[in-house]
Amino acid sequence: MRKKLLALMLTMSMAVGLVGCGGGKQEKQDPGKVKMTNETETVDIGGITYTKSKDLTEDDIELTYFHFDQDETVTYLKDRFEEIYPNIHVNAVYENVKTYNDTLLSLVNSGDTPDVIMFSDADFALSNSLLADITELWKSDPETKDIATTINDCNIGCFATSKRFAVPVKFFPGVMYVDRNVLTKLNIDPPSRNWTWDQMIKLIKDCTVKDSSDGMPYYGCGYYNRLDSYYGIAAAQTVQGEFGFDGNKFDLTAWAIGEQEFANLKQGGYIAPVTETIEMEQWMGDFQGWCGASSHVALFTEAFWTYQNTWATENYKQYNLDIVPYVVPAVSEEDAKSTHHSIATIDFGGLTTSCQYPREAYELLKFMSFGKDGWKTRIQLYNDETQTNSSGLPLKQDVMPAPITTDEEVWDQYTEMYCKGMDDEHVGYWKEFFASCMQPIPYGWTSIAGYWNYCDEYFNKLDIHNKVDNGEEKAADKVDEATQKANYYHASAMLQYFGKEGYDILSDEEISKYEEMVKENS
Amino acid sequence: MSKKLSKEEKKNRKKVKPGRLAKREAMVGIAFISPWIIGALMFLVYPLAMSFWYSLNNIRITPLGQFFNYVGIGNFTQILMVDTEFPLELADYVISTIVSVPVIVVFALMIAIMLNQDIKGRGVFRLIFFLPVIIVSGPILGMLNAEGAGSVTAIDIQAITNAVEETLPKSIAEPISDLFENMITILWYSGVQILIFLSSLQKIDRSMYEAAKIDGGSGWECFWKITLPTIKPMILLNCVYTIVYISNNDQNAIIELIKNSMFSGTKEKGYGYASAIAWLYSFVVLLIVGLFALAFIAKKDVYAKQVKKAKKAHKKELREIKRVGRRSARHAKKREREQAKQH
Repeated sequence: MRKKLLALMLTMSMAVGLVGCGGGKQEKQDPGKVKMTNETETVDIGGITYTKSKDLTEDDIELTYFHFDQDETVTYLKDRFEEIYPNIHVNAVYENVKTYNDTLLSLVNSGDTPDVIMFSDADFALSNSLLADITELWKSDPETKDIATTINDCNIGCFATSKRFAVPVKFFPGVMYVDRNVLTKLNIDPPSRNWTWDQMIKLIKDCTVKDSSDGMPYYGCGYYNRLDSYYGIAAAQTVQGEFGFDGNKFDLTAWAIGEQEFANLKQGGYIAPVTETIEMEQWMGDFQGWCGASSHVALFTEAFWTYQNTWATENYKQYNLDIVPYVVPAVSEEDAKSTHHSIATIDFGGLTTSCQYPREAYELLKFMSFGKDGWKTRIQLYNDETQTNSSGLPLKQDVMPAPITTDEEVWDQYTEMYCKGMDDEHVGYWKEFFASCMQPIPYGWTSIAGYWNYCDEYFNKLDIHNKVDNGEEKAADKVDEATQKANYYHASAMLQYFGKEGYDILSDEEISKYEEMVKENS
Repeated sequence: MSKKLSKEEKKNRKKVKPGRLAKREAMVGIAFISPWIIGALMFLVYPLAMSFWYSLNNIRITPLGQFFNYVGIGNFTQILMVDTEFPLELADYVISTIVSVPVIVVFALMIAIMLNQDIKGRGVFRLIFFLPVIIVSGPILGMLNAEGAGSVTAIDIQAITNAVEETLPKSIAEPISDLFENMITILWYSGVQILIFLSSLQKIDRSMYEAAKIDGGSGWECFWKITLPTIKPMILLNCVYTIVYISNNDQNAIIELIKNSMFSGTKEKGYGYASAIAWLYSFVVLLIVGLFALAFIAKKDVYAKQVKKAKKAHKKELREIKRVGRRSARHAKKREREQAKQH
């Protein structure tokens, strides 16, 4: 009897404990309806004056930030955010890009969905309804007006709907790097800062010298990104995405011109050999060589981060390069005269649909991405070269992004940090470039519904790049079929993600429009 | 002799309750196997049943819950009749598995026999051959392959590939070329198999070899008549192990396809579609295992068969001798009778 009583008491105490622990859960708010009141106060932490929002909860809460950003940087930002909002505990979870989607979906499946996530594959995020509607938060946030113009003008992050689901987290502008020393050696004038596409092609051709005096051929272009991706955006200011996406439908005509032009350059011998090829071994005498270290290439289509994590490092001084940035040129002279759209790598983020604290989660997302305060903290971190990653590399050199905010204070600090150690002439080059890169158009898989599925299931299987490069096929021959398929995938995705079975935010007219598109293109 | 009880008698018979000791013994037994039962139910039966249920549905996993749309065999027809990816990958997989399994098993057997010899540093050699099992995980293997470490540099792969492709149809030639291109990788897969063969080789009774040697048996004959028949069950075991390993390896294109389908954003794909591929794939893997089992399961022991055959022949011979004896006796009697008549 005594034993039974004891067991009963233990059971009761456990039940009471469980009920006690389970209680006090706040009712979930609809993120789409949450607004900012913009009541703020200032707090000084670590030499930075932060604008602290007063409309955030005062309860002790925990938010999970799931990301593939630079881990040490995020940890630093998280700590600072927790100092500004001491009642909010942030659980920052890093996951490698390769396993990112798998892990995230496993978390969602097991009911442990993070509150804030980064994503790069929009189809994955939208098909699983991961992203919450943050339209009102975005609209009521004054900082979203001070952001790269295309984000709002081209509704980037809205996925061709009237709602906003994503914000830009990491921004890497598209850039053309020119080695001025090569131009000097070849006695070629530097191109105009407002150059056009044709001028760039001419430069590539002029700088290709096979029988150079030092015995090592010069090449006009060394590539990381293919020129067709750049050309598709540079072709017209109406283009809002890759493959000629204008916000409604695709048209691959411009892509085909860029693709063919790049293939022609390759066939003509104007493009430097790539690493781990016989051609590279014959040229640089090293099978694993990289054209960026050859001192014999005039123009590079490298990623934005290559400058800081490679060319600006001590190791590369031995190669005697003088790399300066140029904006990706526009095709028409008219567009080239002023700042214009250019391709950029942008990783996005958003709140998840199960997020319990959308207002607070939005503040965290902003701090980690486009927010001024977050950027001031990042710049402070990048300035401190004792802060390193796990390999001992200063964080400035570890795939450092650029601010997507247009805030002058942030940009002044960023440029000063970025150009540390440069002479005035080079600082001028960078300032000019930063001013001209603020109309970014992201790659399709991050910003267009159905794009990744299209590439994965159709476009990549064509092996079109190799076939056109080898001269087996002409890019123009594929335009009609590829455009039709792209439109089919986009319309299907729009119906699936935003139609009745998805977010259910499409109007009847929009549904009819996409159904018609599916019919026409299937 | 026990009497068979009728149904009526069985009914009327009093049920004998088990005693306390028997009950306790039964409880102990159940307690001992319960971890396995719970494990099997939770981690085998339940996931299997769920994945089959998934395969009949189109599933969306969202932070607000899982949404199931029953499609019946829709996923299976989509995979087999509409999409081309799985059938093509499957054909490649089947051919490459059938080609590479014998190579791995034969290589493992050869190495095991060598490691079983009385040589200096035997332990070190054994360790070397087992090291890939410990060190080489999926990502490392991927990196090594990317560096070109998967093929034997001394072999002119291109020449072999050209020769194979000229003589065989493309669908068969490709897996054979791949075999040569990834020879090192394939041989790395043989660590566990070597260990299994080694343990079975050490179990063979040495006196059998001594007896064979006394009778003048060569090493070659000993291998075919003693070693191979004795370790035959292990060949099957190693074949099964190799098939399972190849089929579930990270480098396997179908596993990659299943993963990609799980996380694909297209309406048709997702967990349901991936589960349907997994079921179809499991069925094919089982068929391949069955194929190898048919080839290696010995219905009867070869020597028992031969002994029986010899005994039968001996009996037949005895019968023949007896028959001849009887016939001779008959003939002799007949002759005697005829001689008696003549006299």
